[in-house]
Amino acid sequence: MKDLSKVRNIGISAHIDSGKTTLTERILFYTQRIHAIHEVRGKDGVGAKMDSMELERERGITICSAATYCDWKDHSINIIDTPGHVDFTIEVERALRVLDGAVLILCSVGGVQSQSITVNRQMTRYRVPRVAFINKCDRTGANPDKVIKQLREKLGLNAVPIQVPMGLEGDMQGLIDLVKMKAVYFDGENGDKIRVEEIPAQYKDECDAKREELLDAVSMFSDELMEAVLEGTPTEEMIMAAIRKGTLSLEFSPVMMGSAYKNKGVQLLLDAVNDYLPCPTDVDNFALDLDHDEAEVKVSNLPTDPLLALAFKLEDGRYGQLTYVRTYQGTLKKGDSIVNVRTGKKAKVGRLVRMHSDEMEEIEESGSGDIVALFGIDCASGDTFTRGDYNFSMSSMHVPEPVISLSITPIDNKAQDNMSKALNRFTKEDPTFKTYVDAETMETIISGMGELHLDVYVERMKREYKAEVTVGAPQVAYRETITQRADFNYTHKKQTGGSGQFGRVAGYIEPLEEGEYEFVDQIVGGSVPREYIPSCDKGFQKCLEKGSLVGAHVTGVRCAINDGASHAVDSSDIAFQLAAMGGFKEAYAKAKPVIMEPIMKVAVEGPTEFQGSIMGSLNQRRGMIIGTNEEDAYTVIEAEVPLSEMFGYSTDLRSLTQGKAEFTMEFATYRPVPKSVAEELIAKAQKKDKK
Amino acid sequence: MLKQELIEKNPIRHLKGESDAKESSRMGLVMARAGVGKTALLVQIALDSLLNDKQVVHVSVGQSLDKTKLWYDDMFKDIAEFCKLENAGEIHDSIMHNRMIITFNESKFSRAKLEERLHDLMQQNVIKPSCMVVDGFDFAKTDRAVLEGMRDMASAMNLQIWFSAVCDEEADCQCATGIPSPCKGLEDLFNTIVLLQPVSQSDCIDLKILKGSAAVSKCGKLLKLDTKSFMIRENCK
Repeated sequence: MKDLSKVRNIGISAHIDSGKTTLTERILFYTQRIHAIHEVRGKDGVGAKMDSMELERERGITICSAATYCDWKDHSINIIDTPGHVDFTIEVERALRVLDGAVLILCSVGGVQSQSITVNRQMTRYRVPRVAFINKCDRTGANPDKVIKQLREKLGLNAVPIQVPMGLEGDMQGLIDLVKMKAVYFDGENGDKIRVEEIPAQYKDECDAKREELLDAVSMFSDELMEAVLEGTPTEEMIMAAIRKGTLSLEFSPVMMGSAYKNKGVQLLLDAVNDYLPCPTDVDNFALDLDHDEAEVKVSNLPTDPLLALAFKLEDGRYGQLTYVRTYQGTLKKGDSIVNVRTGKKAKVGRLVRMHSDEMEEIEESGSGDIVALFGIDCASGDTFTRGDYNFSMSSMHVPEPVISLSITPIDNKAQDNMSKALNRFTKEDPTFKTYVDAETMETIISGMGELHLDVYVERMKREYKAEVTVGAPQVAYRETITQRADFNYTHKKQTGGSGQFGRVAGYIEPLEEGEYEFVDQIVGGSVPREYIPSCDKGFQKCLEKGSLVGAHVTGVRCAINDGASHAVDSSDIAFQLAAMGGFKEAYAKAKPVIMEPIMKVAVEGPTEFQGSIMGSLNQRRGMIIGTNEEDAYTVIEAEVPLSEMFGYSTDLRSLTQGKAEFTMEFATYRPVPKSVAEELIAKAQKKDKK
Repeated sequence: MLKQELIEKNPIRHLKGESDAKESSRMGLVMARAGVGKTALLVQIALDSLLNDKQVVHVSVGQSLDKTKLWYDDMFKDIAEFCKLENAGEIHDSIMHNRMIITFNESKFSRAKLEERLHDLMQQNVIKPSCMVVDGFDFAKTDRAVLEGMRDMASAMNLQIWFSAVCDEEADCQCATGIPSPCKGLEDLFNTIVLLQPVSQSDCIDLKILKGSAAVSKCGKLLKLDTKSFMIRENCK
């Protein structure tokens, strides 16, 4: 069995284009997983190893977090490459869930950009310890000191460099390790020959000062080191132990630098992953006890305990469904039978493999804390596996509701078949991607977290499943809710000819602060017979599907019944359902219903000279500007803007700012739409109804 | 309570001396030890202007946008609860359109930069503030000229500016003799200066008026504030 303290599950997370995939490529090369280096946008057409999806290679961005495995100096490292665009945050978040530590990559020129802030926030939410790597130090304008300052100011990290670069931009020669106080050079064509020497005289003073700063910062975490520093005898081991302690407590982030493209500093980063990032037992993970109201239980990480494994990623490979799992405790062996906690279904582990992006290696068993892939297991991502003796689930992840949808129509019959296959797969893989058939228009609707999110799936459908579809205009997911309490008293009667129907219900509906729907039964004295109370509930829920204003989903309503009447013969389930529906409709009109629209939190980052025009553009889009933050020549403007106004904003923003500004957007909340817009929406909905 | 009532009842506005139409541009200063509630009082002052449908710029030095926004959301919620305000959610959404937060890093703040930014905003017609609060301004490291410049800016833009300043522990005894450091010798630049002091074993905070115009003095030299909502309390334990 493997020593758990020598396992690292890490993620590599960063802003788009900061060189994440290139860095992963180098790591795989140095750990001898691959034998030649291919660039992301290379001329050889092979593409980087981690970008195994065709689409990713073409766009130069990584969409799915392929997991890969490598060995570095007697440690096993599982790397999850995470996507960089904010529209794929569920991918990022899902990856973060199974990680123990992360490397935050930053561009030495661009520094901390808006995407890094989002990712950093997610990492803080999942308590992921991180080390920072300032990449692209060879680029013109590289300034690691500025980036470190931004790490402190913008991300609030206690970031302290543990290296000093020898030269920047074009004449970068190597790095100085401040812990060992040695200069490191990277020789050879691929930088794989490491040469360690004394620090050159011209860097001596700078290094002494920076080392002092580092010792100051880390001695906070170790009394032993503190004493040693005062006596002037700190040892390498002490400093490393203190850095590790600080990093694990999330109160310290060591900063490294280099250039993946120019093969500088990658090996030192791997050393740091081994030295400073946590092993599976260093991190507390919690499972939810389903027998005890989802109480949190700490997982033991012991290979001898009952099995607990989480499926965090599905992939449709050549040989069927591939399921990436992380084991939290127990051992997963080939030939074992495991139970999916959500469905209760049993499955047999046929093949167990370790993934190296798109190549695999068969293994016999996997211990706790490891990340492996299973073949032929039917499940959805986020499912938990046990051996059936354990009713625990790894905590359900926070899944945001989709905010945008569009209709897709296959162009021919063949595409129709392939499309449904594709949709089936995507919805299993990605919980934020949903699909349904509109009962009225009979169109297939897909919904997700943003324009790009849906775009990518439409592309993937075409490429991977050969399903050509025509795409409708994007629709915002509006909602309806009520703003005040209203009473109803409704009798449903149909007693002419055939079997009759009779039911009367009275009660009220009122706004619900939290949650979508609540049903309250306040019937006393049996004015509505017990057996028909669930029918009323059902009737209300049917009404919620479609509000009377624009036909949007109704949320935030408490429905209560407190009186009613029944008939010995004519009352039935359907009669009470219809009575409840009638009652709801009666009360709904009186309860001042409003239309709600999704509001996005938008952060635009651009040069200060464009600040005015950016604000103007946000104002035009009904945006509420929250404020601005000034950084040297850059300004970040934060605003809350309705999603319906954000279509095509990236193009507008680009032309407005000569391509120098960029933005990120995240779902914030639902808010009532202004009157004028509401009227427009209602008119549109009525017109559609008439058709 | 309705919005109108809340506006009328809020005695904070006496402090601002807005009844004095002649003096629409003026400078105010809130002083307190760390952690007593300078920011809360500034936000309260800003909220009062917002409730009057005026536009406010909040300049925050060294604090993030999110944090500053949270201050407003929390304070508004507390006030709404304290006064049992009706349709609070709607009012909140409508007044926050009139607020704009500008954050600076400690080292990046300068009067010239702020002025340029404000000019920009007014020119673009994004906001036309009548009140500005400046939180986190470091009085210990600035000289008189900067504040004089701010004062000129205030009158040029027809603005009311409120500052916060941290004073040290000894402030309590100093205030008997005058304005506590670090603002000693600057008092002539401000129209109103108040000092916040926590009262032990009570749910109130003392607001001492160290300097103020006639209108301000009408409400006495000492006010009691509720620790949560920062509304002025009439009856205090």
